[in-house]
Amino acid sequence: MSSRFSGSAAAVTETALPARRLRRSLGSRLASGAAPYLLILPACAVIGAVLGYPLFFMGRLSLQHYGLFQLIRHKGEWIGTRNYSHILHDGLFWHVVFRTLAFTAAAVSLTMVAGTLFALLLAQLGSKMRLLLTAGLIFVWAMPVVVAVAVWSWMTDFEFGVGNWLLTELHIGNFNHHDWFANTWSGWAIITLLVVWGAIPFVALMVYAGLTQVPQELVEAATSDGANPWQVFRDVTLPLLKPIFVILTSLSIIWDFQVFNQIWILLSGQPPPQYFTMSIYAFTTSFQQSEYGLGSAIALVMVAILLVVSFVYIRQMVKIGDAE
Amino acid sequence: MRTGRARGIALNAVALLVFAVMVFPVYWMVSTAFKPGRDIFADTPVWFPIHATLSNFGDAIHRPHFWADVKNSLIIVSVVVAMSLVLAFLAALALAKFRFYGRKAFIILIIGVQMIPLNALIIPIYLVLSKAHQVDKLSGVIVTYLTFVLPFTIWTLRGFMLGIPRDLEEASQVDGTTRFGAFLRILLPLIGPGLVATSIFAFIQAWNEYIMAYVLLHDPSKQTLTVWLASFTGDRGTAWGPLMAGATLTALPVVIFFVAVQRKIAFGLTAGAVRG
Amino acid sequence: MKARIIAAVVLAAALATVASTATGSTKRASAQQVVVWVMTDAQNGWPGAIAAANAQFQQQHPGVDVNIQYQSWDTVLQKFDAALAANDAPDVIELGNSQTVKYMAAGAFSSLKAKNFPNSSTWLSGLKASCTYRGKLYCVPYYAGARAVIYRKDMYRQAGVKSVPKTYAQFLAANKKLKKKFGKNRNFSAFYEPGQNWYVATTFVEDWGGHIAVQEKNGKWKGTLDSPQAVKALTIFKSMVRKYSRASKTQDEAHPFPSIPFAKGRMASFIGNGWEWPYVFNPKGGAAPKSFEKKMGAYPMPSHIKGQYMPTFLGGSDLGIPISAKNKQLGADWIKAFTGTQSETLIAKAGNIANSTKLANVNAHNPSLAPFAKAAKYSWFVPMSPNWTNVENSHLLKQMLTAILTNRKSVQAATKSASKQITQILNASQ
Repeated sequence: MSSRFSGSAAAVTETALPARRLRRSLGSRLASGAAPYLLILPACAVIGAVLGYPLFFMGRLSLQHYGLFQLIRHKGEWIGTRNYSHILHDGLFWHVVFRTLAFTAAAVSLTMVAGTLFALLLAQLGSKMRLLLTAGLIFVWAMPVVVAVAVWSWMTDFEFGVGNWLLTELHIGNFNHHDWFANTWSGWAIITLLVVWGAIPFVALMVYAGLTQVPQELVEAATSDGANPWQVFRDVTLPLLKPIFVILTSLSIIWDFQVFNQIWILLSGQPPPQYFTMSIYAFTTSFQQSEYGLGSAIALVMVAILLVVSFVYIRQMVKIGDAE
Repeated sequence: MRTGRARGIALNAVALLVFAVMVFPVYWMVSTAFKPGRDIFADTPVWFPIHATLSNFGDAIHRPHFWADVKNSLIIVSVVVAMSLVLAFLAALALAKFRFYGRKAFIILIIGVQMIPLNALIIPIYLVLSKAHQVDKLSGVIVTYLTFVLPFTIWTLRGFMLGIPRDLEEASQVDGTTRFGAFLRILLPLIGPGLVATSIFAFIQAWNEYIMAYVLLHDPSKQTLTVWLASFTGDRGTAWGPLMAGATLTALPVVIFFVAVQRKIAFGLTAGAVRG
Repeated sequence: MKARIIAAVVLAAALATVASTATGSTKRASAQQVVVWVMTDAQNGWPGAIAAANAQFQQQHPGVDVNIQYQSWDTVLQKFDAALAANDAPDVIELGNSQTVKYMAAGAFSSLKAKNFPNSSTWLSGLKASCTYRGKLYCVPYYAGARAVIYRKDMYRQAGVKSVPKTYAQFLAANKKLKKKFGKNRNFSAFYEPGQNWYVATTFVEDWGGHIAVQEKNGKWKGTLDSPQAVKALTIFKSMVRKYSRASKTQDEAHPFPSIPFAKGRMASFIGNGWEWPYVFNPKGGAAPKSFEKKMGAYPMPSHIKGQYMPTFLGGSDLGIPISAKNKQLGADWIKAFTGTQSETLIAKAGNIANSTKLANVNAHNPSLAPFAKAAKYSWFVPMSPNWTNVENSHLLKQMLTAILTNRKSVQAATKSASKQITQILNASQ
């Protein structure tokens, strides 16, 4: 990296040191009064305006029976927690929860592992190959989701998919007229591949950026002490990269848990229940069954589950965020 | 790093394989866009568009509202990027430089916002925007996108600001400038890469978004490019050639934006990422 | 540096203002335009009818803009629900005739008087029924469609099928010959039947005397796909599909559209609507030249009962005026223009069945389209329950068919659970 960022490099080593200097300057800032509140005001105002009432309304909806009839008259029918008890006793709901968790776990692990491996590969390459691979990753990252799904749809098309043709020609099996989504496992494999493919570049590039910040002296010191590459990675690199991994994993969990577009568009807007994730289940309950109250309850339960699942990571992020 | 030649070759081979596999869908999209119908639906795939044609692009561009939708997408994205940079910069400043009561709550807020499933809020958001006469208006979509883009941009910019060494700041204060002046004069050029990284993120999020734009914008002349793209796949069959051409066109601005700022990307991600 | 920040902030503010004013200036006062939601079918299939209707409307209302916003079947109801929730509904909306009951029962439409609309005394009774709720009229019939078998005359000839099948047994025999002649091509289907095409599967059910659901004397609905007749029909359907169709078993009649594989010679026949005809040789995406049309023909699907056709689903669309529409009278006037004789004739010529029996013979001399009108002689319709749309939206019939055709469930088991679900959905309270 260039010398322009020696400041940033210094900042890296600063995290490893006690933050004495920070605390000293911080003391003089406690008296700054209104300034911080004014600074966060615009952002809070936007978020509050767009999400404040809708969230409140969604909470209210979850306690009502709100079908098409009620929607037209703008008046719901209060039924208390009946939506929630209906959800908790619904077999399909629990299947969907389990499926969403399983998919999230698989997608996040694959993304983080592959992304880190790609980053390590990038770090080892000569500059020309690195540029090529980086450019490739950026092209993938830049593709809008709608576009990416369209291409994958086309590649796995029942009649004309090039993926099907390739697999048949490579004698992996007969994939002519293969219905990828007839078998739930193969259908989910495609969906997971698509999601992971789209998510890898972001992780790879971020981790690579972090890798370049690992001071070479530390690596060389460890190597000369007799550590093998895996030990160097585990004992030197990983601890320094921990903040990045925490953030990337948290974000991946949050994003993969909410996956909607890929499944929806791949399955032509009519996914069968075996392909429901929680966000799809909430959406179809609201819009296809016109049960807006029940759909809102499902969405709120989804947020609650997500909070529980990502609690450990979120707590770490808040700690990091509040530390300085 | 010292590597043997064999190792070097092996690594390059792996890199090429990874490149080929990852980029293949992108390649397939672009090559299909240039193929005539008979090559697209050939029984044996045509790997390289030897009979390259621009007819799919012509078809896509001549679909109703294409240019209007391009304009809409560009407007929405530029405003979202600009405004998110400003708002996130201010908020990140507060988080990075000040200790204040409610700081933790604010952090939890911006993390929490990212957990809310957009789709569940479609109707409530529609209702709120409708009351403010913001339905079927680009400004309604802009404000909605800002809400979902801000959390990550605030967090990343905060990371960059923390990366600025104290002594640089204090040095400028000695000159007699106000603290705010110091912030601006010293901070901005140093977090330039951070601004670039967050603007890329905001650009991609705003450019990609589909479902809110679809519900909030009714008039086809007001819709965005991603909604326009969705019109190629319909209940009356998918026009694959024009769809791939339209998809290529839709992905183009993001790629152009990337190329324009690509030198800053690596630096930007570097400095901000490690700080978390 | 300071200057640059100020510049950035000013730029952002300027862009924001530009954005809101740019969009604001195009929004006219609501009295100056009538907002119409119709499907892209009209845009692609009969744009001339739309143009004729607009011209007629403008003559009557010179200062008023007609703002037509074409919708997609997959997503229109979601948008409509959101618009209804916010009192933002269009002035005219097209709904499928199997969707209208739900919206009429929920009070989404204003009531209309038939005598105000052209040809109302000769409206197709099936369509009129889909617009009537508790004795009142809530929408205007737009058009109907019937399905028939679209086939390759040249392939039939080459396989030795001398005449068009007139009984189901002859249909099976013809397909056997086709498979023998062309079956070596691994992509070939004698009869291309996407697994989730529930319209055709139900056609079989109805032909053997079964129904999707029946309403009992106490008003409650009961799903009856597990009745012996329905099970028998679906078993026959399954064996026919597995023998003669290589189409996807997880996709329906629109995903993918059969037009392209048909044009590529991957099938000898499929069941489709009249308006699907031009998609074969003129779909966007280039599949077959216009000369291909000479090879195409159509015949009504023959029944296992001699002398009859299998009952076709009488699909169609109606036009309604939402209760919260801002310009109800303008909407009504546009509907009058669009459903008048001139416009309806153009709609029928595009391969549909016009909304009035007066225009029944528009296509009588068109050999391509006449079979579709003939096929409409025997038809079935979905249960007229306000909750029927929810059954369609849940796609449970499609999933039942996939389970049957992929051998994941037996016909008995699949129909039993589907019937149970249908009973539950149809009887759900409002």
